[in-house]
Amino acid sequence: MKIAVRAFADYREIIGKEMELVLSEEKTIGELLAELGDRYPGLRREMFASTGELKEFINIFINGRNIAFLNDMDTTLIDGDTIALFPPVAGG
Amino acid sequence: MIRRGKEAVREYTVERYQRQISLLGADGQETLRRARILVSGVGGLGTIVAAYLAAAGVGFLRLVDHDQIEISNLNRQLLFQATDVGREKSIAATERLQSLNPAIQVEGINRTLSDETVDELIQDIDLIVDALDNFTARFLLNRAAFIHRLPLIHGAVRGFFGQATTLIPGRTACLQCLFAHSPPPETFPIFGGTCGIIGAIQATEAIKVMTGQGEPLANRLFFWDGQAGEGTIMITKRNPHCVICGGEEGVNQDSH
Repeated sequence: MKIAVRAFADYREIIGKEMELVLSEEKTIGELLAELGDRYPGLRREMFASTGELKEFINIFINGRNIAFLNDMDTTLIDGDTIALFPPVAGG
Repeated sequence: MIRRGKEAVREYTVERYQRQISLLGADGQETLRRARILVSGVGGLGTIVAAYLAAAGVGFLRLVDHDQIEISNLNRQLLFQATDVGREKSIAATERLQSLNPAIQVEGINRTLSDETVDELIQDIDLIVDALDNFTARFLLNRAAFIHRLPLIHGAVRGFFGQATTLIPGRTACLQCLFAHSPPPETFPIFGGTCGIIGAIQATEAIKVMTGQGEPLANRLFFWDGQAGEGTIMITKRNPHCVICGGEEGVNQDSH
């Protein structure tokens, strides 16, 4: 199955603007991000605390929905999903 | 020849807004004159949004902020002068906008947005601009906007990055559908141009929503990356279980 990952801001500098991944087996978003973290240590440093926990205020959307309101890191990916990764932007 | 009364006002109005009346029509301009908009936060975003709304002839602007002007604000908060340092932002901005456009009414309120104050601050308001600097206050404003069925124009900035979206109760996701957490407070880095871009988008959205022109940024989050020189639209969706706006006829179309 094919999954698109779109990265914004700081994450874009690390993994590029958009990538398409072909997964041979079912994965959760958590598993996918862990794999991306192995491939891009810079991304792991940005997104995960040293304990391995995702920094909670990072925005991860699947098809326009924040994973915090899906099954969080256990959300299962399905064919055609588009993942968006972007940092918190909170100033005014 | 001296013109008096309504005729003089009409001519002044037509001339002042000539360049936009050709876009909005006389009816659209009249809609703006009757519009009552709250700008919550008078900082990097709020000063820009409020300046465009005042210049465009929005008839009533309420500016709310609890801060005083600091010298480090002046790289981006273009309504303020060096001599304003130490003054209340809401008051200094009100004076500045009132002299920019004497035909409108500007009300500056030096107050903290809180559970206790929010209902009073949005009283008699048609549309709210979120120009705040933290998500705790934003979630509070979002809740009030949803309860009172008021459109909320969200904007936020950090460094070279910014985002904006238009939240319309019953029609779009609310802010709480999109963002789960308040990032830790920080003295965020900020470049003035980023505020200009996002603030100008917010002003445009406010005028579009008030006049019914164009297609608002509804269920679309605009993300601006000034470093890459690129803006991107992310399609967003309501959370049917949202603690604020879920429960009514929120239709979850996706498979998750």
